[in-house]
Amino acid sequence: MLKFIEQPRYSCAIGAQQTVVAIKRGVPILHAGPGCSSKVSSLIGQGEGYAGGNTIPCTNAGEAEVVYGGEGRLRNVVDGAFKVIDADLYVILTGCTSDIVGDDVGRVTGEYQAQGRPIVYAETGGFKSNNYVSHEAVVNAIIDQYVDVHNKGGNIQKGLVNVFATVPYQDPYWNGNLEEIKRILEGIGLKVNILFGNGSGGVEEWKTIPDAEFNILINTWTGLGIVKHLQEKYRTPYVHFPYLPIGGIETTRFLKQVAGFGKLDSKKVEAFIQKEEEKYYSFIERTADFMLEFRYGIPRRFYTILDAAYSIGFSKFLLNELGIIPAKQYVIDDTPEEFREEIKKLFAGISDLRSAEVAFSIDGGVIQQEIREEPQKNRAIILGSGWERDLASDIKADLLIISAPVTYRLVLNCGYAGYNGGLRTIEDIYDRVLNTYR
Amino acid sequence: MAKKIKQIAIYGKGGIGKSTTTSNISAALSVAGYKVMQFGCDPKSDSTNTLRGGNYIPTVLDTLREKNSVKAHEVIFEGFNGIYCVEAGGPAPGVGCAGRGIITAVQLFKQQNIFEELDLDYVIYDVLGDVVCGGFAVPIREGIAEHVFTVSSADFMAVYAANNLFKGIHKYSNSGGALLGGVIANSINAPYAKDIIDDFVKQTNTQVVEYVPRSVTVTQSELQGKTTIEAAPDSKQAQVYKSLAAKIAVHEQSKVPAPLEVSDLRAWAAKWGDYLLALETGEVRTEAAGNL
Repeated sequence: MLKFIEQPRYSCAIGAQQTVVAIKRGVPILHAGPGCSSKVSSLIGQGEGYAGGNTIPCTNAGEAEVVYGGEGRLRNVVDGAFKVIDADLYVILTGCTSDIVGDDVGRVTGEYQAQGRPIVYAETGGFKSNNYVSHEAVVNAIIDQYVDVHNKGGNIQKGLVNVFATVPYQDPYWNGNLEEIKRILEGIGLKVNILFGNGSGGVEEWKTIPDAEFNILINTWTGLGIVKHLQEKYRTPYVHFPYLPIGGIETTRFLKQVAGFGKLDSKKVEAFIQKEEEKYYSFIERTADFMLEFRYGIPRRFYTILDAAYSIGFSKFLLNELGIIPAKQYVIDDTPEEFREEIKKLFAGISDLRSAEVAFSIDGGVIQQEIREEPQKNRAIILGSGWERDLASDIKADLLIISAPVTYRLVLNCGYAGYNGGLRTIEDIYDRVLNTYR
Repeated sequence: MAKKIKQIAIYGKGGIGKSTTTSNISAALSVAGYKVMQFGCDPKSDSTNTLRGGNYIPTVLDTLREKNSVKAHEVIFEGFNGIYCVEAGGPAPGVGCAGRGIITAVQLFKQQNIFEELDLDYVIYDVLGDVVCGGFAVPIREGIAEHVFTVSSADFMAVYAANNLFKGIHKYSNSGGALLGGVIANSINAPYAKDIIDDFVKQTNTQVVEYVPRSVTVTQSELQGKTTIEAAPDSKQAQVYKSLAAKIAVHEQSKVPAPLEVSDLRAWAAKWGDYLLALETGEVRTEAAGNL
């Protein structure tokens, strides 16, 4: 049966170009048909970054590259990229056409690698996976083909950790989130390879990945393929926190889990947590009178239409720290079957007293229809994408745009993770609510 | 009203004598007074060699590689008796997509209405035997060839390839694709070979158009870079090809074949294997084969 999927919130595998764009002085080189790259950019790529968006070199493979093979054209574009784009790492990503025809991109890349060029490749034909999965493939390709060449491991630095969290750009707030995560992990005494964005040391930092004492995965399922690969390759153990920690309670829980795993100096950890919590709650205390008087003014129920890491993270925060009750939660990241039970369990125990119903769906149209058909007896807030704007206005709900496509927001350093992310969430929710006052 | 151009596709396993047979059919039709084009659809691009004194011609895809647009006239070369020769060509072995190449070449001709312009009577596509992907099925899709003939010997692998082709024809038969004219039984010398092919066409609801014996005349002609029709027009073998061409010329009604499932085909082959063994050990005589 034909099935149409309306408004999916992620892209095909080639969306991993944004993973490369998020690396300091990293450039993706696409061996794909015309249009693939710009569609990805318009869905999840706000801002070109160093060499993203329209700067991305692409073979624009057409019929000639299909019939005769596109390896010659790829060499041509790679040579051109070396000439005109000054970068530290080049990552060739293939599209559907090249992967179907069977161009030997590994061999072409190997020729440049043999010349000592900083270049790797990954097969990201759209039919292979979505960009949550290909993000792992691209990170692993960089580790195997670039990092490993410079560092075979065996030189563990005490206290050094690699952090893998949400997928850059697929999470529009990735950079703000990573900065906060790096800040709090440094606060408890770790040295942090954050790998992407402003807080990262670029490829020099990537080269020290094998030296980490342990890896930290802050995501429900995306990234497990990376930390498991690193465990196999360099015997680096990993600690898994399966959602984005947002606000005081969960951020403290996260830090304690990491500290316990890494056997960190508990005095230092406790001191940092105490200082952060004091600061965090001081803001809430300062506005406690306002919040108390306003308690009937804020939404009573929330929907999340987000990927698993965000959906669980926000659900815990909204329920446990703001007292908003969960309606149905929609996980839209095409969660592989094997992780779904675990996610259901997390929602079942969202607090000591409450559970939340969760649905896995990649079809925005179906989700919106379902919400429209529910009785809206009291005020709701939707944490979704820009595509939920009409729905929110129709059912008179508030909308906080968290997921791609953000469309109606400009994102600079905003982030929702950590202590600061919790405060930011409170600000944003009240901002939406107060804005509706006459 | 413009005359109807008869478009025929000839398939068969590699090395079975497909190009030899096709070139001789083209030559025989041409000698009989028809205007013929032979269109080689094989990346090896040697279909029309014996129509051109053993010489290779630039292919459609080689020419397209050099420049973006190609006029059909640039890749049509005249061969024996004014036969128009075209080779689709393909990418270098091991790279690219030969199937897409065939599609590109065939469409280039279709778009330019070249067959009508040349006032052709026959276009004969000589296609790689195993229908490995969509590209090699293009000549049997709607609007290209109407009739398909397959060249097969009595060897199991040739029969297997023919059966695969029947599956392709069967698939496209519902959407206006070409239908099967029949089997051209090639290299039929041993008596049991004829029996095997006869049995196969009976099982698959088709017919043998002609039995073509293996002949040294063909080899001699090919070594001179010629078809048998050109090199030995009065030979017995040339008569066989002329007879075949005449049958194809009058052929009107093609049918949907009934390909065997793989397991049935294997069972069928095993039955013949047992029989041939019995024949070798003298348990049965050739004449009895018809009763098998």
